[in-house]
Amino acid sequence: MSVTVEALSIAIGGKPIAADVNLDIADGERVGLIGSSGSGKSMISKAMLGLLPLNATVSGSVILGETQVIGASERELADLRGRYVGTVFQNPAASLNPVMTVAQQIGLPLKLHYDLTKAERAERVARMLGKVGLSADAANKYPHELSGGQQQRVGIATALITSPRFIIADEPTTALDSITQRQIVDLLTALVDDAGASMLFITHDFSVLARATTRCYVLESGRIVDSGVTAEVLADPQTPESKRLVSAARSLTLRSVDLHSTKEDSHEQ
Amino acid sequence: MSNSHNNRAAITRRAYAAVALRTMWRRAEGKFALIVLALWLAVALVSLVWTPQSLWTTDGYHVWAKPSAAHWLGTDGTGADVFSWLMAGSRTNLLIVLLTVVVSALWGLLLIAAMVARNSALASTSVVVIDALISIPTVLIALILAVPMGASIAVIVIACGFGYGLNLARVARPAALLAARSAYVESALANGASGWRVLVSHIIPNNLPVLAVQLSLSAGTAVLAESGLTYLGIGVPSGVPSWGHSLATSVKLINVFPLTVLWPGLIVTVVVVALNVFGDVLRDAIDPVANPALRQTAGSAGKEDER
Repeated sequence: MSVTVEALSIAIGGKPIAADVNLDIADGERVGLIGSSGSGKSMISKAMLGLLPLNATVSGSVILGETQVIGASERELADLRGRYVGTVFQNPAASLNPVMTVAQQIGLPLKLHYDLTKAERAERVARMLGKVGLSADAANKYPHELSGGQQQRVGIATALITSPRFIIADEPTTALDSITQRQIVDLLTALVDDAGASMLFITHDFSVLARATTRCYVLESGRIVDSGVTAEVLADPQTPESKRLVSAARSLTLRSVDLHSTKEDSHEQ
Repeated sequence: MSNSHNNRAAITRRAYAAVALRTMWRRAEGKFALIVLALWLAVALVSLVWTPQSLWTTDGYHVWAKPSAAHWLGTDGTGADVFSWLMAGSRTNLLIVLLTVVVSALWGLLLIAAMVARNSALASTSVVVIDALISIPTVLIALILAVPMGASIAVIVIACGFGYGLNLARVARPAALLAARSAYVESALANGASGWRVLVSHIIPNNLPVLAVQLSLSAGTAVLAESGLTYLGIGVPSGVPSWGHSLATSVKLINVFPLTVLWPGLIVTVVVVALNVFGDVLRDAIDPVANPALRQTAGSAGKEDER
């Protein structure tokens, strides 16, 4: 599913969160949105699902496939969410309902959008569990009995069970340790590519971004300040804001790569 | 195929109930609560078909009699059998308690839905309105209702249901609000769930422990309210057996015939304590995080599914 965001501006209670954001995601493409905390990344992803708080004012255009999200009715949006658009959340421990079993959790989008018998649903859930690398006996476990990585696998399974055409991954690896991060990113990208879906991958971490996306947008204080092929943006940031972000990310996560240029960057500031 | 799966789901649900009951039974106070409540239910059912004496048989020569073989708990001021009236009263009280709990649960959940609504105007207005309404005493509401309705069971149920529903909403609000703003509710919304669905299948199940405790407290308070309101003459109408009725007709002569007051007083006390304890043990038994036995049920049900 192709995604086009044009001149998207968001304000909450009069305070601007994002201004004049333009984004393009082609069918089957994996695109990143990177920015520091509070730069408005999550609000942009919420605007794409029509899930902004009610006191938010929003203008511009978000077109998912052929549907204009801004100003769409709650019915149209409910049909889109979970069926054509899947979402992977930041903190898997919090985004899984504590009193639902893994099978109930993964089966939820199916229950909401498809008229399947319990047996059909159980079968599809079991197949999905296998795809995300969880054993069959995980189906009847509660979220608190799983590790963080397993929980996020459940989150990915939930997002992908309906074979959506577009995945929003909102910092899916932030709450995980670095080895698990890598596994989760590889799993997510492999499954998204298999399904032929497109993905918006939101993160503040360049090392994860490079692994998950081919193209990226850099967000700073609610504005897109840089964009391009991820590897190029990472190697040669064009604007001062993206330079600052890249150097900060390098000093934190890419210490082994190109220490020299990082030092230069910090001297410039 | 789907039918057999529905059966399995029913079996799982029954297994859950069995595990929850067993967990409650394992604790001494749980045993006490379950026995008292089961006894209450049994006596209420038996009283529909049998009481030792007819309620309307009065023995004018033996009023305020002490317990005897003919009158196990003695007789009251009209010479009627106290034990029979208490037996018959148990079904009236059971009816009142069940109706009050249902009314207060529905009313309370409606208020909770308003208070956690995404629409902030509705949410903040409902909080203020509930705080204002909660200051009206239940007795006052009952007195006002009794003007057009007279003494009736409906007065107790409506007044208590209204008042306890407000309490339920206010007590449950912080936890419900946390659930409503939680990441798992956001996840459900992002998967296309409607507001009502989120309330019914995500917010309420996550607040069941709080609701269970509060509703069982309400049940206990409803037993007490029945006695109080009946004593005031606006509760159960005269001629209808209830524990409050038995108390009200005997309490005036407590100095002369204390035994007659003792029985209904004892029953009310034991039942109220049992209901309060029941809420506590139920809370621990139905929480999958607090009760590991429940989680094992989920696991073994899964193994049955695989076969």
